[in-house]
Amino acid sequence: MSSLPHTPWQRSQLSREDSSTRPDHTRTMSSDIAGDMQDKEEQPDPIMAAFHDRYQLFEKSISALFRSDHPCCATSELDIASLEIADYDMIDVAADRELEPQKPPAPAVRVEDDDYDFDEEEDEPPPPPPPKKPATPSPTKRSASAQSQTLGSPAKAAAAVDAKAAAVTREKLEADRKAAEEAAKRAFYTTFFTLENDRDAMLEQQKLDESDRQVNAEASAAQEAQPGKLSSANLGASSLTLKHLIARIDATRERVEVSDMELRNLMSEVRKNRSKWASEDKIGQEELYEAAEKVVLELRAMTEHSTAFLNRVNKREAPDYYQIIKTPMDLGTVMKKLKQHQYKSKKEFVDDLNLIWSNCLKYNADPSHFLRKHAKAMQKLTARLEPLIPDIVIRDRAEVEAEEAGTAEADAEGESDDEPIMSSRGRKGPGTKKSRKGAPQPREGTPDVKPPQVNLIRAESNPPTNNIDTQMSQNGFLTPTNGTPMPNGVSSLSQLELDHDKMEDTDKDPEYLAWKKITKKGRAKVASDRHRLFRGTKLNPEEPALIRSRIGMAKYTRSIERHIKGIEEDDPIDGTPGAIDGEAEEDEGILLPDYYYPLSCVPELPWRTIWANDEDEVEMPDEMLRLAPRGMFVQPKSELANKIDANIKQLQDTRKVCAKISVVKQMQVQTQMYANQFTKYDPKEFVEKDVDDFVISDNGPVMCANVARAALQRSIGKVFYHAGFEEFQPTAIDAVTDIAVDYFQKLGKTMMVYKEAPMQQQRFDDEEILLHALHENGADIEGLDLYIRDDVERLGTKLNSMCERMKAHLADLLRPALADSSGDDSNFVDGSEQFIGGDFASDIGDDFFGFRELGLDKEFSLSSLSVPLHLLQGRMRNHYQQPNANAVTADEGHTAPSPFEPVTHDLLKSQIGLVQNFFLAKLHANNEQPLVEDEDLPVKQRPPKPRLPPTGKISMPRKRPLHGQGSGSKKKKKPSLPAVTAPQVKKEASSAMMERSISKMSDPGDGGMMSPESLVAGA
Amino acid sequence: MAEKDKFKYRVEIQQMMFVSGETGEPSPETTGIIEEMVRAQVVEMLLQCTQLAARRGSRSISTDDLIFLIRHDKAKVSRLRTYLSWKDVRKTAREQDPQGGGAEPGELMEEAAAGVGPTGPTAQVIKQKKAKVGLPWEVASFFSETVPERDDDEDEDEQEANQATLQRLKNADERTRGMTKDEYVHWSECRQASFTFRKGKRFREWAGFGTVTEAKPNDDIVDILGFLTFEIVQTLTEEALKVKEQEDAVAKQSMRNSKKRKREEFLFHAQESRTPIEARHVVEAFRRLQAPKPKSKAMRNFSGGVMKTRLSLV
Repeated sequence: MSSLPHTPWQRSQLSREDSSTRPDHTRTMSSDIAGDMQDKEEQPDPIMAAFHDRYQLFEKSISALFRSDHPCCATSELDIASLEIADYDMIDVAADRELEPQKPPAPAVRVEDDDYDFDEEEDEPPPPPPPKKPATPSPTKRSASAQSQTLGSPAKAAAAVDAKAAAVTREKLEADRKAAEEAAKRAFYTTFFTLENDRDAMLEQQKLDESDRQVNAEASAAQEAQPGKLSSANLGASSLTLKHLIARIDATRERVEVSDMELRNLMSEVRKNRSKWASEDKIGQEELYEAAEKVVLELRAMTEHSTAFLNRVNKREAPDYYQIIKTPMDLGTVMKKLKQHQYKSKKEFVDDLNLIWSNCLKYNADPSHFLRKHAKAMQKLTARLEPLIPDIVIRDRAEVEAEEAGTAEADAEGESDDEPIMSSRGRKGPGTKKSRKGAPQPREGTPDVKPPQVNLIRAESNPPTNNIDTQMSQNGFLTPTNGTPMPNGVSSLSQLELDHDKMEDTDKDPEYLAWKKITKKGRAKVASDRHRLFRGTKLNPEEPALIRSRIGMAKYTRSIERHIKGIEEDDPIDGTPGAIDGEAEEDEGILLPDYYYPLSCVPELPWRTIWANDEDEVEMPDEMLRLAPRGMFVQPKSELANKIDANIKQLQDTRKVCAKISVVKQMQVQTQMYANQFTKYDPKEFVEKDVDDFVISDNGPVMCANVARAALQRSIGKVFYHAGFEEFQPTAIDAVTDIAVDYFQKLGKTMMVYKEAPMQQQRFDDEEILLHALHENGADIEGLDLYIRDDVERLGTKLNSMCERMKAHLADLLRPALADSSGDDSNFVDGSEQFIGGDFASDIGDDFFGFRELGLDKEFSLSSLSVPLHLLQGRMRNHYQQPNANAVTADEGHTAPSPFEPVTHDLLKSQIGLVQNFFLAKLHANNEQPLVEDEDLPVKQRPPKPRLPPTGKISMPRKRPLHGQGSGSKKKKKPSLPAVTAPQVKKEASSAMMERSISKMSDPGDGGMMSPESLVAGA
Repeated sequence: MAEKDKFKYRVEIQQMMFVSGETGEPSPETTGIIEEMVRAQVVEMLLQCTQLAARRGSRSISTDDLIFLIRHDKAKVSRLRTYLSWKDVRKTAREQDPQGGGAEPGELMEEAAAGVGPTGPTAQVIKQKKAKVGLPWEVASFFSETVPERDDDEDEDEQEANQATLQRLKNADERTRGMTKDEYVHWSECRQASFTFRKGKRFREWAGFGTVTEAKPNDDIVDILGFLTFEIVQTLTEEALKVKEQEDAVAKQSMRNSKKRKREEFLFHAQESRTPIEARHVVEAFRRLQAPKPKSKAMRNFSGGVMKTRLSLV
């Protein structure tokens, strides 16, 4: 479209508008001139004709004046010339066809069919009626006479004349349609119609499809009632050709997931050159139904008016409808009746149609009701189309044959007569269904019904100008549903418009209407395709990508070339088989201007993107599309950011230490610990994840609201953490994010206000603008500086010292206060490094001391891997004992005294008398076993330890100095026993430590709140 | 007199104003209006404290709530902290040694203000135990575990507090430089003026403790409020002095322009003695102090409408 020069286009458009203002149909006129008497009858006024001629001349002279190279600008002339030629051609062809006997397109097939038919006859015992045979020799030659014969039998006097008139009418309609199509096609190049009607077209089309489906469903539902045997179903002669296939399908019927109806349709499609209406038993059915179906389809295709009549009136919509209308009727029902072969004559059919309109007029009695308009239009159209239907009364073949054979009285009339024949053919249902499709023999055997209809179809479907129709004609029948957008409907509408423009479309451009009609189906399809690309208001990512096809592009370029070179219509080129690959020809039936396929119209884009794979890296040395630089949505590197990050790290570390402290404190309080009591604190490092690679094509900032918001939220989360919140609710962070967004927007707005101040006013430079904006929004440099100094830098130092203190505190907790006893830490250096460093508790977790590794849990069937504190104490003591013992020996030269021997009966003698009885009693209590020192007893059996503070004084628990945890200290009742200290020197230190630990342990009132001072003070 | 009943702190306010630089004798009207303002501030503070406490889930207000209101004023916060910690020390000292007595809280406030610890042999002992008063929004409360104080971490906070104190002392020094001995004595007497010292009950009634806040606030809060009220009066006075100065400058200017001759006529016209601050100066000062800061209205930018502001704390 873009290639069209601008001015000529406008000009032609202008002239077109001129024409559209005329009441009459100048566009269709050109075709009407093509010489049919009816049109001339319609315009009897010579003055009008003269005006018309003059107008034509005028238009021609205009185009002559502004002649340009492009054909679009000379259309009026060319149109007429070409059209006339085309139309005459068509008529010639039609006439030729009429004169010439119809030649069947595929006679060979028929012969084959015949053979098969014979086979079938041989296969099935009851032979077909032999009288059919003699009719075969003269298949089509007798068509005219046969027709007259057929028509004559219903006793219509001027049947032959009528038939001819009808044929002429049909041709004319066809020609009109073609002309309109041509005109519309030409208009593709000259006029741009907007797309706003596409939706309506789509909806109407959907309604049509819907009603189609409904009719089909109902029909097939009726069919379902029958047993689903294909072979038993009516497939006509095809059952012969496809006998094996059918048998196969029948055998595996349950696995075939299509309904009988669909199968039947498939079958009939396989055998294309037969009409689906053909019946061997009903004479005239094929012709009548063929025509009737076409009429119905056309009526339905008149979506402008027909929408209301497509389906039954819903009782919900019009509750009283069925009280007023006793015999409801609609197009869907008509179609259904057609499919169920319920019509016996043209009259019945036409009556049903008229019933629809009259029902409507009856129900909607209000003269201003909008439906009346539609009904009237439909009525007119019906009247218009009526002559297309041959006036045939269907009769049973048997009857006819009987008549012919002069044995009329022997055969009764009606369908019941069919039954013996059908049952003899193995069919089950009565012949109300679609009968065997185009069974060749009977058909040829009844040449008298070779209809003019067929002739007509052949004649008009072979115009040299339309390859679509050429294609169609190969199918042998031309039903509008097969892809041509309602040919007859269009033409007849254009006719209708002539009459009824004043009624409804006076304000509309007839050309536009014609265009609408012609392209309706295509537009509907395009619109629904487009519609499918969306889900809700967003693009549906599931849909396949739009890829332009070579055909589309080729077509487009060809049409453009043609247009530029001025070649008239397309067919010679389009028709050439090499021009288009055989691929997607299905669109061929749809007539649409190029701009409906924008993909094909887009010219080749200069391909400046080079995606060169560089080992593992994608490199793009171009300016169009490129990967966005990384790090657009992460915190930029800066001094401040580093400081904040460091602070956060420090916070995490300190919290880790805190967690250890709390665990250790808990262990000191409880004798039993369970794994799940250890609050594990394992913070992850803050890592800002960047967005995935994405491609940009512009230099502007990347605008993506939700990503930016998420990034801001993340930053705010960091600030939160930095401010000391360990965790926070999502709603909180949402709220703060909203506030931050709001604030920054205000800041930006303020800056903009300053920046966009008019020239005359005093302008600030950028720095001033920034300062002003900051001030207006309550911030200033000092404040920001203060924040960084106080809340970042000083916080950092505070956190550092806090962390140090925490660590020291942890070390204090883990290390029993030994420093005092030996005066210096030197004896504590080697083995207990881990206490000080806090490594000791670093692996607090499931397997605290590696019990599981050792398999101890299984061995002792421990319910948990808790570490009882006495174990821990033992460990600690061992750790302490070792170096301390060394220290003692080293410093004072003492050797450890040998351990006491356990008291036994033997030893008793050597003891002084005073204690002998005591020990004896003890031994007795101990079942004469040797007595064991308390120290050497298993831990649990030890008697409670005497508690002695390190001061050596036995005193009441001391009041806490500060922090008023008075309640806790009051509660605790320390059982302080008299000191029965073990006299051993070497154990002094360790027992002191033990007491401390135990005193800690038996201090439940303190819980986690145990203040560290008490420890320090105690030491 | 009704007037007397209405205003209870005339003398105190006068003294405070004197300390703040107002040398003249302010009229009862001036002190009355200042008293009203101070009371409004106190009530506002109590209300906000109550709200904060309610947010914490507590019915009674604590010192933390009160300090939170002025958390941005570092100098005040640090002074309050010093004061509170000393008060704590005093209390423990009294507990341990009931005879020792210790100074009254009011004196303590002065001591804290002066930045001088209690002297004497016991002071040294106590000093070691002086615990820092932690505030809930400080670093220490970031963590789940409390850590014993260490003596060595005298961090920047304290330095800053010292700095603020020094600045304050310097100001006072400036003010008293030209004073005679008697004047100085008077001045230092005036410095003792307080809304609360030894008149806690009166203050409670005056501030409407029973009605504004439900719970009975403890002594700490009353003391803090006493300190804050002093600050308020001082700020108001200083601002009012500025206002008056400006007014005088303008008046002088206009006098010079218009009444030159008149002036010449009275060649030996006595030096104009300083007039005291009047009510209008105070009102203007208050207006200036209440003027919304950009910070408080930033979020209302571009949105229009009438901005409702609450009484901002001086």
